[in-house]
Amino acid sequence: MIRIQDLRKRYGKMEALKGLTLEIEKGTVFGFVGPNGAGKSTTMSILATLLEPTSGKAYVGGYEVTERPKEVRKLIGYMPDFFGVYDNLTAEEYLDFYGANYDIPLAERKQIIPQLLELVNLTHKRDAYVDSLSRGMKQRLGLARCLVHNPEVLILDEPASGLDPRARIELREILKELRDMGKTIIISSHILPELAEMCDVIGIVEEGNLVAFGRVDEIYTKMQEKKLLRIRLLDRIEETMEHLRQQPTIAGVTQEGNWIAVGFTGDDQQQVELFRDLAVSGYPVAAFNEDQGDLEEIFLEITKGVGS
Amino acid sequence: MNILRRLNNPVLFNEWKMRMRSGRSPWMIFSYLLILGGITLFYIFLETDGGTYYNPNDTRELFMMLSILQLGMIVFVVPGLTSGAISGERERQTLSILLTTNVSATRLILGKWLSSLSFMTFLVFATIPLYAIVFLYGGISPVQVVKVFGFYLITMFGIGSIGVLLSTLIKRTGISTVVTYAIVFGYSIGTMVLAEIIREFIRYQRRMGNLPSSTNSDWTDIIYSLNPLFAILHIFEEGPTNNVGLRYGTWFPAIDPFWYYVIFFGMVTVVCLLLAIYAIHPVRPRLFRAARKEK
Ligand SMILES: Nc1ncnc2c1ncn2[C@@H]1O[C@H](COP(=O)(O)OP(=O)(O)O)[C@@H](O)[C@H]1O
Ligand SMILES: [Mg+2]
Repeated sequence: MIRIQDLRKRYGKMEALKGLTLEIEKGTVFGFVGPNGAGKSTTMSILATLLEPTSGKAYVGGYEVTERPKEVRKLIGYMPDFFGVYDNLTAEEYLDFYGANYDIPLAERKQIIPQLLELVNLTHKRDAYVDSLSRGMKQRLGLARCLVHNPEVLILDEPASGLDPRARIELREILKELRDMGKTIIISSHILPELAEMCDVIGIVEEGNLVAFGRVDEIYTKMQEKKLLRIRLLDRIEETMEHLRQQPTIAGVTQEGNWIAVGFTGDDQQQVELFRDLAVSGYPVAAFNEDQGDLEEIFLEITKGVGS
Repeated sequence: MNILRRLNNPVLFNEWKMRMRSGRSPWMIFSYLLILGGITLFYIFLETDGGTYYNPNDTRELFMMLSILQLGMIVFVVPGLTSGAISGERERQTLSILLTTNVSATRLILGKWLSSLSFMTFLVFATIPLYAIVFLYGGISPVQVVKVFGFYLITMFGIGSIGVLLSTLIKRTGISTVVTYAIVFGYSIGTMVLAEIIREFIRYQRRMGNLPSSTNSDWTDIIYSLNPLFAILHIFEEGPTNNVGLRYGTWFPAIDPFWYYVIFFGMVTVVCLLLAIYAIHPVRPRLFRAARKEK
């Protein structure tokens, strides 16, 4: 669906993209991760026909973005990282305006718009002025706006940034529905765990290069193999550590203050047994935590050297 | 059919809707009428010495004053209405979304341009009651009235298109507004000064005997006729503008200078709008791309 080949973009002397190459299949939710300034927005603007690359090619649905921008625009719904709304329009009129810009006939718009408002849970705000909506609601309305012409591809630039946790959850639910509708979605963020939950494929970009690329489920499988457990003890820390080292399911033991960090390779059942064993043996265990580990670290370790 | 489709411009309709809802519009109409009506009525009051008698011979003067005042208002208001058309959208961060939709550059620019000008037209129409007062006294030719309103329209088109173009080229509305005003006033004063200089130069050369006294001074007349103030004065057969080509029979067509003005402003309109349409898209259409690569 989307193919990016050796894409470069230079702003003056600054090279924002240094030969990015990427391919996204139809129907996948692609998470585009990277720190601020990595080049995510630049890539997305190029895909949205808003920016001309210095060199390289980008295709959406087989159309090159600079050669066939009109066709590309019909295929994509783009939500920028920051966008404004018109103050004097209601939510319904806002969607209607963009629908009209896509030459959708009035009768059809009258049908689609209630459905879109329903999808993003804004039916009750149909007649509310857009500037009276909360940030989360505006974001959802923006998402509905991306969908008026029923595009195959959605390009969402940091849609969750600046949202409170509740609004994030709502957004994620909507994205799930869109994924079920078979849309190809590109969504960016600088926080990997936030994306990992809703994406099929993740690409990590740093300083204009793709440094990692892989399927999320594969990574989770890998992560299942090694887990980090943290145990807090009131006392007898040295002794406990010694005891733990003798267990076959434990790879490494380190002390962090009152806590002991344990690299655990067993399954859930063995984890239960370890916990019982510690308690039964009389060690003063105050807390027993499971840590998913640093997703980004594990991700990078697994997919090392993909982009270069 | 095609024309109807073209007129069906969502950008234009949306602008109308938002303009009429904004709290600023009533205030603009109010101030516009207050200034124009206040001055006109005050003028009538002075002319009649506060009494009820009014000399119909003075109507022409009154009509002229009202028309020139209205022109001044148009020249003053149109840059403000148009110079934020595109840059305002950019500053509001709505432009990029609009550019990713199917809306064509032509539709976008024409919609923005027409919506600003329709508001200006609305303001001008709102002053019709004032004209009614003037007409009450009689003594004005209908042709002149039509000409004056046609003159307003083409002036609005021209200045409006300059505003829209600068608003497309310049990212910030503040700067684009200042530049538009500078160009409009620079043009108005510049043509006046230029025509004067050429006239003085020809006169001087004639006096020195370097030029025969029959030398063609059409250039000054043309420049005069392109100046908004002199052009409107000429509609009332006042001011320094002469009918071009009549006296010397040069290659300049001997037409009413009014038409020179209309043609010139029409051309400015078309050129500015085309440039704006070309400039608005960040990624140019293929035609231009191919041309650039060949270089
Ligand atoms: N219009 C611009 N002019 C100059 N530099 C820019 C411009 N836009 C982005 N950049 C630079 O390009 C780099 C990539 O930016 P961006 O794509 O916005 O990153 P991200 O979205 O991943 O945070 C940054 O270093 C940024 O400073
Ligand atoms: Mg960004």
